[in-house]
Amino acid sequence: MSAYSVTEPSTRSKWFAGSLVILYALITMIPLAWIMLTGFKSPSDAISYPPKVVFEPTLEGYVNLFTTRTRQTKEFLEANPPQNWADEIVREYDMVIVGPSKFGERFLNSVIIGFGSTFLSIFLGTLAAYAFSRFKIPLADDLLFFILSTRMMPPIAVAIPIFLMYRNLGLSDTHLGMILLYTAVNISLAVWLLKGFIDEIPREYEEAALIDGYTRFQAFYKVVLPQAATGIASTAIFCLIFAWNEYAFAVLLTSATAQTAPPFIPTIIGVGGLDWPAVAAGATIFLLPVMIFTILLRKHLLRGITFGAVRK
Amino acid sequence: MTDTIANRAAKATPQKVARKIKGLSDRAIAWIFVAPTIFLLLAINIFPLIWTIQLSFTNYKANRLNREPEFIGLRNYERILTDSDIWLNMQATAHFLFWTIALQVLIGFTLAWLINKKFKGNDLWTTIIVLPMMLSPAVVGNFWKFLYQPQIGLFNYIVAFFTGKDPSSFEMLGSVQLAPWSIVIVDTWMWTPFVMLICLAGLRSIPDYIYEAAEVDRASKLRQFFTITIPMVLPFLMLAVLFRGIENFKMFDLVVQLTGGGPGSTTELTSINLKREAFEKWRTGYASAYAIILFVTVFGLASIYVKALNKVKER
Amino acid sequence: MRTFLTGLMRLRRGPWEMLATIIIALGVFMLMQPFVLWAFTYSFITTLVGTVMFIIVSHFPEDE
Repeated sequence: MSAYSVTEPSTRSKWFAGSLVILYALITMIPLAWIMLTGFKSPSDAISYPPKVVFEPTLEGYVNLFTTRTRQTKEFLEANPPQNWADEIVREYDMVIVGPSKFGERFLNSVIIGFGSTFLSIFLGTLAAYAFSRFKIPLADDLLFFILSTRMMPPIAVAIPIFLMYRNLGLSDTHLGMILLYTAVNISLAVWLLKGFIDEIPREYEEAALIDGYTRFQAFYKVVLPQAATGIASTAIFCLIFAWNEYAFAVLLTSATAQTAPPFIPTIIGVGGLDWPAVAAGATIFLLPVMIFTILLRKHLLRGITFGAVRK
Repeated sequence: MTDTIANRAAKATPQKVARKIKGLSDRAIAWIFVAPTIFLLLAINIFPLIWTIQLSFTNYKANRLNREPEFIGLRNYERILTDSDIWLNMQATAHFLFWTIALQVLIGFTLAWLINKKFKGNDLWTTIIVLPMMLSPAVVGNFWKFLYQPQIGLFNYIVAFFTGKDPSSFEMLGSVQLAPWSIVIVDTWMWTPFVMLICLAGLRSIPDYIYEAAEVDRASKLRQFFTITIPMVLPFLMLAVLFRGIENFKMFDLVVQLTGGGPGSTTELTSINLKREAFEKWRTGYASAYAIILFVTVFGLASIYVKALNKVKER
Repeated sequence: MRTFLTGLMRLRRGPWEMLATIIIALGVFMLMQPFVLWAFTYSFITTLVGTVMFIIVSHFPEDE
């Protein structure tokens, strides 16, 4: 760009634009920062007025998140000294830790169902995307639209028959049921995104491989797959984030064994109402991985949210 | 669209190469690759959909297993479409849709336009701005509920700080007037970056030479903005608006966590209403008809969306 | 407008898709408008007609 380019904004307008954007970014971060701070507050600090920005940090929220506790008599507490640092925190309220809470379990469910469905949708999606990209398939455009439209369906509308179907098949509240369901929702995204990525790989590579005596299968997994690795990885992250965040199906179809974290976090109850520091701690632990993934994904973000339509 | 990619692929593979392929024929491989996806979608999306259509003509109740459902024709549809309460829920949805889209387009486009000034460090700030939209809507709704608490919430405190009102004098989630706006605010906070990103792509797709030509013609900056920038970004903006429209039409998780549809039914968007009918009142047949109405609406919007998608793709 | 009408007569995809889009948009508007109840009542059938029409006409040949 030359120094006299008419499209290059002046230094002053750059400075002005920059400060407005930074101001917006800072304002938009306040709620997130606040929730992370609240995770390190004591329950009384969390609900104090005026809201406290400076406070004494404590891990109480996190301890309450991961444990279940009961109140004990003074005699019992004196007879049994605290076992560890977490126990010590709880002792301030005349309580003892009696065991782990359900949060760990629910978090693990989120991980299992997230990774399971991501793996399945990427596996099936890559195959389908390759076929759509390279072969002549009758009614290809209609099939692709059909695949996309399944993602647009309102979850609650789909949940009614799925609820009945899962009840009959014994799949309600099971990991398998949730994995299959999330795979079905994610596969449309996977096919559309991966088709875009595979379309970008020049056909000549495979043709050269075919001439060298590779079969189609070999050409697919020895030539195309390595080339599409970045695309597959970013598609996988998108699928994972979706499955991780999903709430509507989870709240309607699971209640115990296979319940994921999103329906669980809002139900964390402390002594005397909602235990906000524990809820905030749960939210922080739950949201942090997604934020990290978003930063990793930033180059492909636009592609992912528009089903591959906008490439830049 | 006769020149599909598949067609081009067929043309691109020369006869000689095609004959050399060992093992399965391409056609067989294509079917083996596509079939599992189609099968899964048929089992988990299409079969349930057909079942829903069938149920929508009955008075089935899913919590009564031993009662045979009766066929009642179009009566469910008739009842829903003449019910003024459901009409009110639709209007609540319309209020939510209209204001979230208006605000997101306004703020999102402005931000994109500012970021496109290419100031130092714009990438970093863009990444930070984008963060909210990838988060779990249910968890976001849950922690905004904390921010909205009348006595202790940060939102009320900040509003009180700037307006001088008493922070406990208004309840964002509890008052009939404010609750519809509270969900608009959170959705705008969360999804403005989405509109911004798409607008940014639109702005970046405008080649410099168009502006240079306009400059040669001595068109003013303002004129350039309305005759070049806006029309060129419009297809992208349409895409963003349609997508947000579809998503917010079926909005459930965020609002259920924030207000649960209350107070009264002021924020009871259609999905929340449907959930009540289906999973609280267990009027399965009735709810199925309701679901079909929502589904057809979304499907119609989705076909327009795909059309807009292809338009942008051609650029 | 002229090309639009001839496009309709010659069963071309572009103008028919446009027409279907308008009908769908009208149906959605009728569903959520706050003015008259009967428009709400007939919104579903409008959207349904528009959507089915869209699926059919998107198989019409492209212009040229």
